Amino acid sequence: MIKFLYSIGMTDAMITSSVITIVLSAVAIAGGRALKKNGDVKSSGGKLQTALEIAVEKLYNFFEGIMGEYACRKYFPLVATIFIYILCCNYSGLLPMAGHFPGLKPPTSSINFPMGIAVVVFFATQIIGIREAHGIRFFKHLFQPVAFIFPIMFAEQFVRPLSLTLRLYGNVYGEEAVISSFFDMVPLLLPIPMQVLSILMGAVQALVFSLLTAIYIGEAVEAGEHLRKDSHH
Amino acid sequence: MNMIAIAAAIAIGLATIAPAIAQGITAGKALDGMAKQPEVAGEIRTAMILALAFMEALTIYGLLVAILLINKI
Repeated sequence: MIKFLYSIGMTDAMITSSVITIVLSAVAIAGGRALKKNGDVKSSGGKLQTALEIAVEKLYNFFEGIMGEYACRKYFPLVATIFIYILCCNYSGLLPMAGHFPGLKPPTSSINFPMGIAVVVFFATQIIGIREAHGIRFFKHLFQPVAFIFPIMFAEQFVRPLSLTLRLYGNVYGEEAVISSFFDMVPLLLPIPMQVLSILMGAVQALVFSLLTAIYIGEAVEAGEHLRKDSHH
Repeated sequence: MNMIAIAAAIAIGLATIAPAIAQGITAGKALDGMAKQPEVAGEIRTAMILALAFMEALTIYGLLVAILLINKI
């Protein structure tokens, strides 16, 4: 099985992220079915439905405070998906034998994975902005408040995915490298404090990535709405 | 080869100092604010994590340069 996946060119990180995708999808589909069957009254659902409802509600309230009510209602699924996916991918590095066992390696410690998500965020921001501004006039926001700021605003749009990528990749890769070199020095007990730190780090990095995504999307929605209202005057 | 190893060590070392000081100041001020106004602790915490992430990125750039240098050996 593993040999076949390698032979079609899949790497360890790709295999792990695919498995995580499948597991998360299965959980989400099961939760969705339960919700459809039982309705959204909390006490009537099973354990899975209750747990998922609590998690989604907490995430929704958190992102609502950052993006605003309108943007959050519309674009919450994208942001929450990014958060949950990155969190699971970061924590996959804590599984036993991660990095040594074939087909198990935290996907975020290879630069392609964060870059893929960052590119999605980049295009999502532009498309959401165009949609909210009802047309190409969204890009006028690059010239506001004054026109000569344009080069900086333009460059910033492209620096954002780059810094998102490097922040996530660098943190996870650095953490993994430190743990593995600690493990080489003293295999017993010494890596444990670092692994405890990496539990914290995994959550914080997932939070930061989705927080920045939420801020970018909230900004695009706001700029788009503003430009749309301006054009009607 | 030895010079490259030293250069990598200096790169990550210097890239750690300034963000470490800045993060210390940020966290200290944030805790100060939280202690003074516990009712807005949640908002302060979110803003603090965001600010820390931006500083963290600077260290990561240093780490990246160090890794690139080490790969040259």
